[in-house]
Amino acid sequence: MTLTRPPRAPRRAPTDLTFSLDEALVESFAAAEPDWLAADRRAALALFGSLPTEANQLYTPYIDLRSADLGDVRAYSEPAGAPDPGVAPSAVPEGAAGFADFAEDRVGALIVDDAARAAGVTVDTLGGLIARDPETARRLLTDAASLPSDDRLAQLTRAGWNQGAVVHVPDRVRLDRPIVIRWSAGVAGRALLTRTLVELGDGAAASIVEEFGPSEAAGAAAGGHPQAQALFTSSCEVRLGSGAELAIASIQDFGPEQVVFQHRRAVVGEGSNLHWALAQLGGRLVRSRVDNRLEGDRSSVEQVEIVFGANDQLHDLTSYTRHIGRDTTGNLLSKGVLLDAARTYLKGMITIEKSAVGTDSFLGEFGMNLSRKARSVAIPSLEIDQPDCRRAAHSSSVGPIDESQLFYLETRGIPPDEARKFIVLGFLEPVVARVPLEAERDRLRGLLEAKWDAGTGAAAA
Amino acid sequence: MAATREIVTDRRDEFAFHDDIVYLAETKRGLTRETVEEISRFKNEPDWMLQVRLRAYEHFLSRPMPQWGGDLNQIDFDKIVYYRKPSEREEKSWDDVPEQIKATFERLGIPEAERKFLAGVGAQYDSEVVYHSVKEELSKIGVVFMGTDQALIEYPEIFRKYFGTVVPPEDNKFAALNSAVWSGGSFVYVPKGVEVPLPLQAYFRINGENTGQFERTLIVVDEGAKVHYIEGCTAPIYATDSLHVAVVEVIALPGSQVRYTTIQNWSNDVYNLVTKRAHAHKNARVEWIDANTGSRLTMKYPAIYLRGEGATADIISVAVAGKGQHQDTGAKAVHLAPNTRSRIVSKSVSKDGGRATYRGQLKVSPGATDVVASVRCDALMLDDMSRSDTYPYIDIQEDDTTMTHEATVGKVSAEQVFYLMSRGLTENEATNLIVQGFLEVFTKELPMEYAIEFNRLVKLEMEGSLG
Repeated sequence: MTLTRPPRAPRRAPTDLTFSLDEALVESFAAAEPDWLAADRRAALALFGSLPTEANQLYTPYIDLRSADLGDVRAYSEPAGAPDPGVAPSAVPEGAAGFADFAEDRVGALIVDDAARAAGVTVDTLGGLIARDPETARRLLTDAASLPSDDRLAQLTRAGWNQGAVVHVPDRVRLDRPIVIRWSAGVAGRALLTRTLVELGDGAAASIVEEFGPSEAAGAAAGGHPQAQALFTSSCEVRLGSGAELAIASIQDFGPEQVVFQHRRAVVGEGSNLHWALAQLGGRLVRSRVDNRLEGDRSSVEQVEIVFGANDQLHDLTSYTRHIGRDTTGNLLSKGVLLDAARTYLKGMITIEKSAVGTDSFLGEFGMNLSRKARSVAIPSLEIDQPDCRRAAHSSSVGPIDESQLFYLETRGIPPDEARKFIVLGFLEPVVARVPLEAERDRLRGLLEAKWDAGTGAAAA
Repeated sequence: MAATREIVTDRRDEFAFHDDIVYLAETKRGLTRETVEEISRFKNEPDWMLQVRLRAYEHFLSRPMPQWGGDLNQIDFDKIVYYRKPSEREEKSWDDVPEQIKATFERLGIPEAERKFLAGVGAQYDSEVVYHSVKEELSKIGVVFMGTDQALIEYPEIFRKYFGTVVPPEDNKFAALNSAVWSGGSFVYVPKGVEVPLPLQAYFRINGENTGQFERTLIVVDEGAKVHYIEGCTAPIYATDSLHVAVVEVIALPGSQVRYTTIQNWSNDVYNLVTKRAHAHKNARVEWIDANTGSRLTMKYPAIYLRGEGATADIISVAVAGKGQHQDTGAKAVHLAPNTRSRIVSKSVSKDGGRATYRGQLKVSPGATDVVASVRCDALMLDDMSRSDTYPYIDIQEDDTTMTHEATVGKVSAEQVFYLMSRGLTENEATNLIVQGFLEVFTKELPMEYAIEFNRLVKLEMEGSLG
């Protein structure tokens, strides 16, 4: 048989998404699921077909999906619902109270330690929860904290999700060690579409570390050669009762051919505090959206996000913070460092509703372009219906490495190259410092340092 | 205190009037290819301009309505008269201006202003410049200041060289509309090395219900020259919607300095959709000083393209949004050359359910090294029925740019009001004073008469909040 090269595809518009979700696959999932869930998938599939890729008119000039080449990528059709009993579970990271490990379409581990289990903490697969407690699953999958209905890529995940994790911490349970959720993916031509649901009861406290990285299978298949792309989508749908405390740290370090769509959405109850620490390093194209809904009075969110882009990576990150309750607080900080021809779009919106008297909200977007080919876009927006606020402000800056900092370090005997590295890693440190597990902190520092060394090494060569 | 109270009284009637004018020629309502051809024929234009108009008309038809910004759905393009000519020829002196029109201008205070210190007056009444005088000394030093229609005939070479080069008809839907049906506006040419000693100013007015006004202003400032151009607007108040779609093009050639000041007070039914853009060449300095009060919806983002090395851009934009108003305004600075500087300062006030939006763009293109840019936008909300939005777009494509952006939104501080009231001011006067202080960054850039007029406009707007 001779191979004929197909004709070159016509030039695509930046909004064109090449991935198509197979309706038969959605139907095959739906067939095995309760009616409400089947209906939910079908409704989402219809929306996926009809919605524009970017619903926000403000951001349409800054969408570019052209580097995502997903025409031949197929979603996993037979994901595991539980760890394979014949395989030894992956090792639990040191210091973790619970561990969920997903590698491609397999489940490597699903573990909660005895103390946490005794307190009623559960870590499930989403399939497992639907089988065990369909009513809770139904509530979690369809309430206000679930994936936004105006977002096409969110509907892609909603229609076609083939894996999921659920963390539940009951009322007044305060977990002092984190739960680690690890997602590994990247086998060429495959799509892993995932949802993570997190619920904390009244007065509960917990921390979660999300790891996103290349799977062993992806690494083995690549063998150092350029390969076809893979798709990974994820959600993190968070519900905090009143007086709850949740810290989520996320480290995304996928391989260079991974296309990533992420949606995080949190409903924060009265007096609750949510902390996000998000690090974006990997991926070819990463499009992420965070929605924080501060519904409860005196609720707060702190979100710190860093991007370290190199080569031709595009990180397209949006965050929406909506103040609804009284005396709520939002504090958002995004920082980007760009090497080579990397691009970041940092888009942020603070919305203060009429009911949100006494809001304090700040959004900061700061970039460091370290290459003439890099491009950094910042759109920090405000929409304010209630002027009676403590603060409503944003701030943004882009600049090179500060010469005076460099000079200071050099006067202390640090060579210029080292000094530049220190300054850049220091610029990104705010997220590292917020990662709850020491081993994870060290790992993130190592990833950042390795990326810096690789980037500047390539530039020097 | 008596003096303060006197100023606060509502003098809006003086600005809101409508004289019955006999229009000598006008097009039918609505926009067709024939309308465009008719306008060109009325004006005896050269064929190239007709071709530009027709090209723009086709583009206007094919271009969709913008889906961002304000609500444009109420505009009925079929109900608008696109061209009206109130008198047959350009009047050479004040004495020749028809009495009715003169009466209108008297109320606007134009002759008085001229007596004071005006360098020249281009007064626009509906769609045609009817009165135009340039002081002799300006003519002597070679400065051209006249109606744009007249300039097309008298200075065809400069006109054709620059017309549409800064804002091409295809730039946006409303630039296309203006290019198709434009009429009136001012033309300024300042020759090499000439500094115009006094501000040039033109009054614009909309008169006549459903009259669109589509003026086109072209300002060319040659190398090393310097000019300050001022436009001020008042308009009668009407129930149905008026449309004002203007295009302003400024070309600042190497080493020149241009300041363009606008104080605008359209009546509350006007859609004000304006494209203002300047090209700043090597070492040139361009300043937009832009105030927006009145109108139903204003969408205006004065822009400066820094095309030559060492060019500087300075934009101060002020907006006051009252009841039923949406001020969607802002600024754009596009850095295309090395060592360029830009500064954007925006201040907005919203009240009585008004909506003030800052929408801006700061772009540093590849090759524009060593750029320094700053954006500052502050919003003041006077009540919780109002809304304030900020949408800055910052796009940096160089590694040695220094850019800072700050934005805050807040309300009038109760402590400040209380303090001023303890000194004998009424609450309204205290708020007036605080708002004026908030806007001072703008006011202090104005010539004194304009500063007084602007403060009076702000007070009128504030006064409205009591009713």
